[in-house]
Amino acid sequence: MRSVDVVIVGASLAAAAAAKRLVDAGLETVILEKQLLPRHKICSGILSPRGHRFLLENFGPLPRNVLHEPTSCRGVTFHFPSMVSMSMDFFGGTTPHLHRKHADHWVIEQSGAEVMDDTSFLAQRELDDHVVVTARKRGGEAFDLKARYLIGADGPVSPVLRSLYPDYHKQIPMFFVGQKFHEIIDCPLDEAYFHFWFHPDLGHYTWSHARDSRQIVGVGYKIGDKFHDRHLHVARYFEEKHGVRLKPADDDHEGCSENFGPSLINRYVFGKGRVLITGQATGFLNMIGEGMSCALHSGAIAGESVVDAMLRNRPVQDIYRQNIASEVRRTTDQWNPLKIAFARPHEADFPKALMEMPMGDRIKVMRDIWSFLKLYKEFRWGRQIMAISAQRLLHGDYSRKNWL
Amino acid sequence: MNLPVSETAAESSLPTDPVAADALIGVPRQQTNPSRWRGERWPEFVQAAELQGVEVRQRYADTGMYITDAGGLAHGMPHGVVVARSAGQIAALMKVAQQFAVPVTVRGGGLTTEGESVAFGGVLLDMTGMSRLLHVDKNALTVRTQAGIFWHHLAEVLRRDGLDYISAPLNLSSSVGGTLGVGGIDVNSSKHGCSADQAISLLVVTPTGEIVECSDDENHELFERIVLGYGQFGIIIEATLKIRRYTPLRMHYFYYASLKPCVEDLLMLDASQACDYTGILTMMDSAITLLVAFDSDAREAEFLRQVKPELRGHGELMFALRLAAKFSWRPWKWKEVLFLLRRKRELFPDLQPAHHMQEGRMLDRTVVFSRAVWKHWGNRHMVIPDLATNRDKFIEAVERGNAVCRKYFSCYTLYCVGIRLRDDHRAHYELSSIPADAEGWAYGCEFEPMYNGVEYSRDRLQSFKNEIYDIGVELETSYYRFGGMMKGYIRRALGNEVVEKHLQLKREADPAMILNRDVIF
Repeated sequence: MRSVDVVIVGASLAAAAAAKRLVDAGLETVILEKQLLPRHKICSGILSPRGHRFLLENFGPLPRNVLHEPTSCRGVTFHFPSMVSMSMDFFGGTTPHLHRKHADHWVIEQSGAEVMDDTSFLAQRELDDHVVVTARKRGGEAFDLKARYLIGADGPVSPVLRSLYPDYHKQIPMFFVGQKFHEIIDCPLDEAYFHFWFHPDLGHYTWSHARDSRQIVGVGYKIGDKFHDRHLHVARYFEEKHGVRLKPADDDHEGCSENFGPSLINRYVFGKGRVLITGQATGFLNMIGEGMSCALHSGAIAGESVVDAMLRNRPVQDIYRQNIASEVRRTTDQWNPLKIAFARPHEADFPKALMEMPMGDRIKVMRDIWSFLKLYKEFRWGRQIMAISAQRLLHGDYSRKNWL
Repeated sequence: MNLPVSETAAESSLPTDPVAADALIGVPRQQTNPSRWRGERWPEFVQAAELQGVEVRQRYADTGMYITDAGGLAHGMPHGVVVARSAGQIAALMKVAQQFAVPVTVRGGGLTTEGESVAFGGVLLDMTGMSRLLHVDKNALTVRTQAGIFWHHLAEVLRRDGLDYISAPLNLSSSVGGTLGVGGIDVNSSKHGCSADQAISLLVVTPTGEIVECSDDENHELFERIVLGYGQFGIIIEATLKIRRYTPLRMHYFYYASLKPCVEDLLMLDASQACDYTGILTMMDSAITLLVAFDSDAREAEFLRQVKPELRGHGELMFALRLAAKFSWRPWKWKEVLFLLRRKRELFPDLQPAHHMQEGRMLDRTVVFSRAVWKHWGNRHMVIPDLATNRDKFIEAVERGNAVCRKYFSCYTLYCVGIRLRDDHRAHYELSSIPADAEGWAYGCEFEPMYNGVEYSRDRLQSFKNEIYDIGVELETSYYRFGGMMKGYIRRALGNEVVEKHLQLKREADPAMILNRDVIF
């Protein structure tokens, strides 16, 4: 059986960030990826400024081929049912519009880790001082890798997480997000911005932006509804209310499951023993539904925690949970109403943009947000959010008791 | 949307980033965490080096001890370690390394905080193997020493003859060679300049393996590049330094409740040249200490008579009473008061230790300002971002940096000093932290978080550092610690023209770009 220092499952941004820290420190690191690289990835690709900075500092200047057209995004525009719209520029400047297929492949190559693609993670079992990871190359025999640590950076429906907590995904609400691509006839939406709708009739998460001369119409809702009906409803709304005239959607539509809830209620999962969970698998997702910057930072923290654990001969979970607390604060603060009102937890200034509007529009916006939030009533997050907000106010931090 | 074009990239050798010209405030498009060298032709290199008599240690036990530096944030494992023995051995190493394009990272005390002395693969050259003091000239007041010597060891040897170094970095377990490469700031730098200004001549091994003596008179261009050159243009093997006769210190402390008057008094004291030592040490921004000291009774008496009445600081008792009055009606600040009291209880005995004091004079600043006091700073991760400015921008830099500290940490301390500039050393300063617009003095402020038992991720600490350095970008000023993980800021601080000029010089001096790579360029 081959023996390595660390096995990472998944070849995403979180995996690359973790691998970068591990390889730099001289650790033998193997990445397992179930698809052949470069692989397609469903994503809006609009990275936040914090994530952009991380990419630059750790992987260098972005090559042109890792970006879609338009190459950059200035900020976000919120639209409300009362037909008020508000645009907010990112504090940190424009950010890249990543082509995830090539961007993920580029960072993985830059990390310097060994990649086994087309190879699926099957199982793991932890022994005294190592983890045995079972994997299989497509069409081949299953094989074992002996690793000192295993990092699961394998997305919202993480097989590594399932191997630790088989029932976890049944305990949290899962959403479906899907996007369709349309040839544009006429689109008045500013292509320099990411557009988001606070509209309860459109769904839990509705967005649109330009990509490679087409317009994306994206919808997100609780799993169970029909994607095509939802999408048609949103496209008609765009045309009626915003004058967005699009040709019928092309055939290359796509969708995936998302774990939307853990960041709101501080219910993250970080692993067990020598197995760490990182990236979106942990539940990190910021308020514009962007998980890439959290993935990069949490991945790096997982990597540095492993290095630290090996150097100091301490349990890796203790170190990881101490180190990840800052990322938890940053992400959960974005959903904390007290922080939103009195601090600036986001990378664009919502309170300032709101205060610049006429009083009448402000009232309409707040009323629309309230009716939008009622859409989430069934998940019973309200009290939990208020409880953790009070916890943050009184203790300066979020409790670690809810973490898995 | 049209593809934005980077204006700066058009003028510099940095690759073009298609996202935007200045997409992120304070960060030019540059990778700051270097990629590990992959080990191409490593076995052939080792064989060739050993044929030249250079021992390359490759066991994990030998390489593992160099995995990080004092910063504790960057981790990198060299492929092999060479312990410095002689100029000839290092010259042979550099020739072979050039031939096989193997990176060489030079390390003295390893007190860098940004991974500058961490080898991300390649060879780590440990200079502490060359740490002997070679000759003391008591008449000319100079010392010749090997560059791997630590400052506290140098001080111990000099004290046998009643001599002392002129200025050294606060932590004296840094090496002389490393200090001359980056600066070295002491509480008497406002009078004597930085430690690197004390170098008279150097024996250097160039990146291509030549052994060269250099000074202001001999190979002066190389001398200008080596001093404050971040180790880019050669390895310092031996150094001749100016020294002075030993004197005990007459110490005085003045206490302030806010930063601005204290900084203004520091600027006034330096301009008046009434003190031999000046500096500011703070506990948060609530208790600010202005330290002044003197080499002679006459200087002290003159200060007490003429300058002291102008200072706005208080003595310890008066300050304590004012602080008590200020905090008594702010119960939400009492936690901060507890920290101040604890800090005072722990720190003050070490600042004025009875066994190093006699009749109010500090007998051994070497011990007090390095070993005894240093234990109260830093943590597992040593994070000390800083700003270096001219006199006019200093107060704003300190106040804005202080606000960032408050935002990130519940406890922190600031350390401010002035650095006397020498007009004849302008060429030395070109690639250094000294701001180009500084006249007479430059001023530095270090922002040092105190963790108080809380563990912070590298990621969180990096955000803190970025925010401090972004202030420098906005104020168009400089930093003491650019290099390593913060090298992205050097172009902002010095401008493309200066960086490109030195990059061109570096390419000529080091064709394979192997010596201390990824630190600056």
